[in-house]
Amino acid sequence: MKTLVLGLGNPILSDDGVGLRIAAELKNRLSQQEATIMATNMAGLGLLDLLAGYDKAIIIDAIQTVDGKAGQIYRLGPEVFNTTRHAISPHDVDFATALELGNMLNLTLPKQIVIFAIEVVDVDTFSEECTPEVRQAIPVCVEMVIREINEDLDA
Amino acid sequence: MKRIMIDPITRLEGHGKIAIFLNDDGSVANVYLQIPELRGFEKFSEGRPAEDMPQITQRICGVCPEAHHIASTKTLDDLFHVEPTSTAKKLRQLLYSAFFITDHTTHFYILAGPDFIVGPDAPPAERNILGVIAKVGLELGGAVIRTRQENHWIIHMLGGRAIHPVFGLPGGVSRGLNEEERAKVEEIAKRSLEFAKLSLKVFDDTILKNKEYLDMVLSDTFTQKTYYMGLVDDNNKVNFYDGKVRVVDPDGKEFIKYAPREYLEHLAEHVEPWTYLKFPYLKKIGWKGLVGGKDSGVYQATPLSRLNVADGMATPLAQEEYERMYATLGGKPIHHTLATHWARLIEILYAAERLLELSQDPEITSPDIRTIPTAIPDEGIGIVEAPRGTLTHHYITDERGLIKKCNLIAGTTNNYAALSISIKKAAEDLIKPGKEITEALLNRIEMAWRPYDPCMACATHSLPGQLPLEVTIHDAKGNEIKKLTHGT
Repeated sequence: MKTLVLGLGNPILSDDGVGLRIAAELKNRLSQQEATIMATNMAGLGLLDLLAGYDKAIIIDAIQTVDGKAGQIYRLGPEVFNTTRHAISPHDVDFATALELGNMLNLTLPKQIVIFAIEVVDVDTFSEECTPEVRQAIPVCVEMVIREINEDLDA
Repeated sequence: MKRIMIDPITRLEGHGKIAIFLNDDGSVANVYLQIPELRGFEKFSEGRPAEDMPQITQRICGVCPEAHHIASTKTLDDLFHVEPTSTAKKLRQLLYSAFFITDHTTHFYILAGPDFIVGPDAPPAERNILGVIAKVGLELGGAVIRTRQENHWIIHMLGGRAIHPVFGLPGGVSRGLNEEERAKVEEIAKRSLEFAKLSLKVFDDTILKNKEYLDMVLSDTFTQKTYYMGLVDDNNKVNFYDGKVRVVDPDGKEFIKYAPREYLEHLAEHVEPWTYLKFPYLKKIGWKGLVGGKDSGVYQATPLSRLNVADGMATPLAQEEYERMYATLGGKPIHHTLATHWARLIEILYAAERLLELSQDPEITSPDIRTIPTAIPDEGIGIVEAPRGTLTHHYITDERGLIKKCNLIAGTTNNYAALSISIKKAAEDLIKPGKEITEALLNRIEMAWRPYDPCMACATHSLPGQLPLEVTIHDAKGNEIKKLTHGT
């Protein structure tokens, strides 16, 4: 099974870059055979180009929910593809629409897509650092993704 | 005149907000557009080597990284007092042309297309790219995706990675083109050119041949007379990469033309208490409030503005289309904001022709891609046209080239005042006492905003499932009586 791990975010907007940091950690932990690791701040149709050709995609992104607790990690299924920060874009389609379009145009898209979303606090300040609660979530999320991949390999 | 109450704003939410305030009789009293601003960029840049700025500034925005990258690179040329080689300038323009094709294509088919191709009053569930493809066919849908992919490939190849190119250096670029790559770019340019022609035909068939749409384009609701701004070359033709900034008055007469170094002589910024974002205006005319016309310093910097300020296009097919647009819509300048969509397609055609020209230029594969800077850095200003308007970068450094001060005027910032006026006008025309405020009506108000393609992507935190645009309607006491969020 060809698996893509895709971290989304902006590396210089505080917590917004959390998905990128997790992807960078995973690069040290996983071999090329286990998964391809990529990081981008693309959204919408741009993501489609990256996903094509994989059987499974694990997307890691920041999220902001009402009353969410900073650093909380959610494992989301395909039904909520328009919820995380980079899965939507005001200048492009949302991720759900991009996938629908990809299928309409017969692109070979992953059959299984999972999103790991990390609840964030500050996404308006230019900084290369995450806030403390979000920083603590990074190793936790790394382990969750590795477990996800190992389960697939054992299956 | 009633006093208008604005809800106290302690902190801007991350999405764009249009707040419409009504009078007692239900007519529009006022309209406010809030665009979020990110904090602390200047501080973030302070003390960093100027050479890092093309890498850093392109991360400000997830939508137009290439525009910041190229503007920043030109600022470094100025800062280090170095003239790039001829091939380097051409390679930068080649990458930039490919970028314009992808960005404008996305806007036309994904953001503008649904309003016209699917219909301004169509159910929101159909008013999207899927609805567009259902109308125009899978073949064209595939061409949209392919055009974007192929032009991204050009950016990727030159920049060394898919996004955030590491390409521009003071005095040149980091990488040239070999013959094999050049041939591939030429093929992509040819296909992009055909795609641009096809897109103009779609515009013709769906908008120009539809009397109802054409009437809407020409209607007063979507008309606004202001000054216009854009970069022009030595022959006053539209140029995205270089030249002087030309400003014409609402009659189309040249008002000023300035070199990047002079921008502070001509632009000033106005501050309003209800928004963090500043309103740039023409200094010589002055700030007269959120009004258009010859006596107000408000200007627009959009694709249509670029065409309005220029004497024409530098490539033959785009020039033909340019002439046809002005002949069709009643001469220059055009004040109909919805015509911006046509101007954007003409710019795709121009970018594709330019890409083809550059790919066939014998100099493009030359290895002479950099002049090594030797002077001591001090201050640099660089201006390009971003898809959303004139983009200015300005850095001041110490003698080691470390940033002391940095100022940016981004594309959308130029248009903040004009955007606010356009939305207010549409709201005033469309919201009438006793008339129900519907989703379709909201969409028509958004159609006044869409031509500007305002960029807030760098600050889009939003609650689940919502696109970051929200319209709130308030009664005469300032109470929110209706809230409509796009995309839900």
